[in-house]
Amino acid sequence: MSESTELMSRTDNPPKLADQLPTLIPEVDIFENDDEILLYADMPGVTKDSLSIKIDNGKLLLSGIRRFPASGAFAWKEFTNAEFRRVFSVPQTIDFEKVNAQMKDGVLCLHLPKSESAKPKQIEIKVG
Amino acid sequence: MTTPWDDFNQTFQAMNLFRNRMNTIFNDFDQLSNFNQSWLVGETLPRTSLSDTGDNLEIFVEVPGFAKEDLNVKIQGNYLEIRGTRKAKIPDGYLVHRVERENLSFSRSLTLPHDINANRVEAALKDGILRMVMPKSEAAKPKQISIG
Repeated sequence: MSESTELMSRTDNPPKLADQLPTLIPEVDIFENDDEILLYADMPGVTKDSLSIKIDNGKLLLSGIRRFPASGAFAWKEFTNAEFRRVFSVPQTIDFEKVNAQMKDGVLCLHLPKSESAKPKQIEIKVG
Repeated sequence: MTTPWDDFNQTFQAMNLFRNRMNTIFNDFDQLSNFNQSWLVGETLPRTSLSDTGDNLEIFVEVPGFAKEDLNVKIQGNYLEIRGTRKAKIPDGYLVHRVERENLSFSRSLTLPHDINANRVEAALKDGILRMVMPKSEAAKPKQISIG
């Protein structure tokens, strides 16, 4: 059900520029503690402005485009303009309003805080 | 009606098609290397691109997460060496779900197609890409020859 709606919305809004670029899968580190899920992703060459983070229906989509100014004749080319793209499943317990993203040195740092109700609670046992 | 001449043409058309395909095969191969890097020798090496702009050579190196203090570049003649160390940062008190960004230190040496004037190299680090503009030494620069 959710799969089919995703396909539909893609045809409605084709990402035209990204279509021509090769897609790379960014390498990620994912950590979790009681308060949040923390994600680092290597996206060398991606600027803050060309990065988009979408959370929809339990899916987190990271997409960043990098472009280099073309100059000179390349003697070799081991990497090119590309789109970094990766989709993750995220639990519904994430507080989407408080998601915080930073881009530094081509590394995305994404904080996904858990909502209050999802945090583990210490239950106090009263002596009756 | 088919004449032997048509057969002949057809054969050539097929050969043309094949030739066009062969002309683009290396481009495809370049692109493929982006999709599947596993066959590249030494996967921990940072990928580089080298461009020749006439007076300068320009090199681009993928170094995400490296600060400029983490990188060390040496040039001698046409020999370029890049070293880098990135600190592992598994935050305290976090449960680890996935660690893919493991390449913490590297050393890559390259032979450049021309000698470099090492004193005038400019290096800049931006968005995880190291870009160096390396002026060619005088002997390696293109010269305009006037016809007398």
